[in-house]
Amino acid sequence: MNLADWIVLLGTLVGIAAYAAWRTRNIRSLNTYLRGSTSTGWGTIGLSVMATQASAITFLSIPGQGFESGMGFVQNYFGLPLALIIVCAVFLPMYRRLNVYTAYEFLGQRFDEKTRLLGAGLFLLQRGLAAGVTIYAPAIIISTVLGWRIDLVIVFTGLLVIVYTVTGGSEAVALTHKWQMTMISAGMATALVVLLLRLPDGLGFTGAAHVAGALGKLQAVDFSLDPSRRYTVWTGVFGGLFLSLSYFGTDQSQVQRYIGGASLREGRLGLMFNAVLKIPMQFVILLIGALLFVFYQFAPHPVFFNQAEWNRHAQDGKFAALEARHASALAQSQSAIRAWLEARASDDAAREASARAAMVAANDRADAIRVEARAAIAAADPRAKTKDSDYVFITFILTELPHGTIGLLVAVMFAAALSSKAAELAALGTTTTIDLWRHFRPLAAADERRDVRVARRFTAMWGLVAVAFALFAGFAENLIEAINILGSIFYGVLLGLFLVAFFLRHVGGSAVFFAAVAAEALVIVMYFSLNIGYLWYNIIGCAACVAFSLVLQTVLPPRVRADEVRAG
Amino acid sequence: MTLAPGPDTRADSEPPDVPGFRTWRGLYLFVFGWFVLVLALLTAFTAIFS
Repeated sequence: MNLADWIVLLGTLVGIAAYAAWRTRNIRSLNTYLRGSTSTGWGTIGLSVMATQASAITFLSIPGQGFESGMGFVQNYFGLPLALIIVCAVFLPMYRRLNVYTAYEFLGQRFDEKTRLLGAGLFLLQRGLAAGVTIYAPAIIISTVLGWRIDLVIVFTGLLVIVYTVTGGSEAVALTHKWQMTMISAGMATALVVLLLRLPDGLGFTGAAHVAGALGKLQAVDFSLDPSRRYTVWTGVFGGLFLSLSYFGTDQSQVQRYIGGASLREGRLGLMFNAVLKIPMQFVILLIGALLFVFYQFAPHPVFFNQAEWNRHAQDGKFAALEARHASALAQSQSAIRAWLEARASDDAAREASARAAMVAANDRADAIRVEARAAIAAADPRAKTKDSDYVFITFILTELPHGTIGLLVAVMFAAALSSKAAELAALGTTTTIDLWRHFRPLAAADERRDVRVARRFTAMWGLVAVAFALFAGFAENLIEAINILGSIFYGVLLGLFLVAFFLRHVGGSAVFFAAVAAEALVIVMYFSLNIGYLWYNIIGCAACVAFSLVLQTVLPPRVRADEVRAG
Repeated sequence: MTLAPGPDTRADSEPPDVPGFRTWRGLYLFVFGWFVLVLALLTAFTAIFS
């Protein structure tokens, strides 16, 4: 990175944060601080919802996913438009009608205070523990590639996001999201254009797409019913519907993005904006990865993209031999691709089939050497990070983009990290203030200015917790996966609570509360006694919560049910 | 406990105020149709390039 890159990087990141903090510095109203401006339109809401979901990992890892495994990951998002329609039609009108600050406040109005505290507690536990990951995960990649100190990267991004989120609350978050998403879109479009321009002469987009397709990178949909396949249309539609419904409908970091705004219409249109654009956006990001795969068939590249990790271990002749074999295999693969392109243009089907088989075989040989390289690193250090696909896109950015745009693309990664972090902090601060602090000190709730001060303090506290956790995560990296697992263990039951609230009108607070506790216990017992993919716990937890609620509602003593109805 | 409120008919009677759409149901159908179209295009993309 040169001076121009630094100016673009710091200018955009600090400029957007400073602008938002300055614009929102005088907020005194609790409603504006927690729900944003009452004049926010659907465009800002839509971009804010999108920015909250898109973390830095979206822009670092998903192109790597396209490079390594192809386009199949796009199917994961197939349930999202359907989930957003349900949120628009059922969840959002109810949240607005009851005028709640948090999704868990709705549980209190629908059921009782203990169910509200359970919902808020599950959210705080899950998001609070994950608080550091959204800062740490991109920081480790960016600091490794650029040779920066990771603790400084974590502290810089952490303090920047704390300053503007604490100052302006939800309004500052929405304001920064708008500009950050605009910058992210511009940066990704620039990277795509440069990538297309860097493809070999005469290949073009169509030729590159045919090469990627022939080498198995462009299978975007798979209608297979084979349950062992990770990404299919069916897992995407049904599993994705489930995950998206719990994320958009019950996670306060998303609910807070669309619950405010000028009117119900603005929130609904903001969500529909995402329903329309999300799959095409993910498609383009994955396509960048697939095109990077073609680009690197014709351009020299390392056998292992995480060069810092490679150089740490590549001390003996074995690693040098792997590099030499990879360069040779790459040259053969390149010749085989050119031969296939010529055969394809010749209209000779037999020649084309033979050239295609040779190309696939040559590519498989190059891939096998990359697998050997990973194994060599793992053998040298069993704790080494052997997944290098996250480093493919950032390597392209740093080596192929012109100066100025390098700064822009690095800023894109940081902006994505800041945008998802800001929404998380605002949600954690809001839930702690509204569902815990105001619940236990109801008289203090009358003092609005004090409430805003308390919300600011809780938001800052969660920010500092996130920074501290991110600094600590370096010493315990397996915590990150543990936190993802923890999320799946809690998300399902949380969604179950809301589905009962919306769709099972006769079920009361005691039934759903004890059902949720029992469902959570069941999920935890299953987690420790079975060996199944942890994403399944989302469905199991939700189904158990709904089923137990129905059973408990019929077997609870009539006195409890009557008390609840009278209380209502 | 309060019984879960039924569907909010007032919310659905408010028009989306989007050109070409008089009801929210119409807009949701459009978004669903868009999803089906995207699925069809991705299927065609896979068939052409794989």
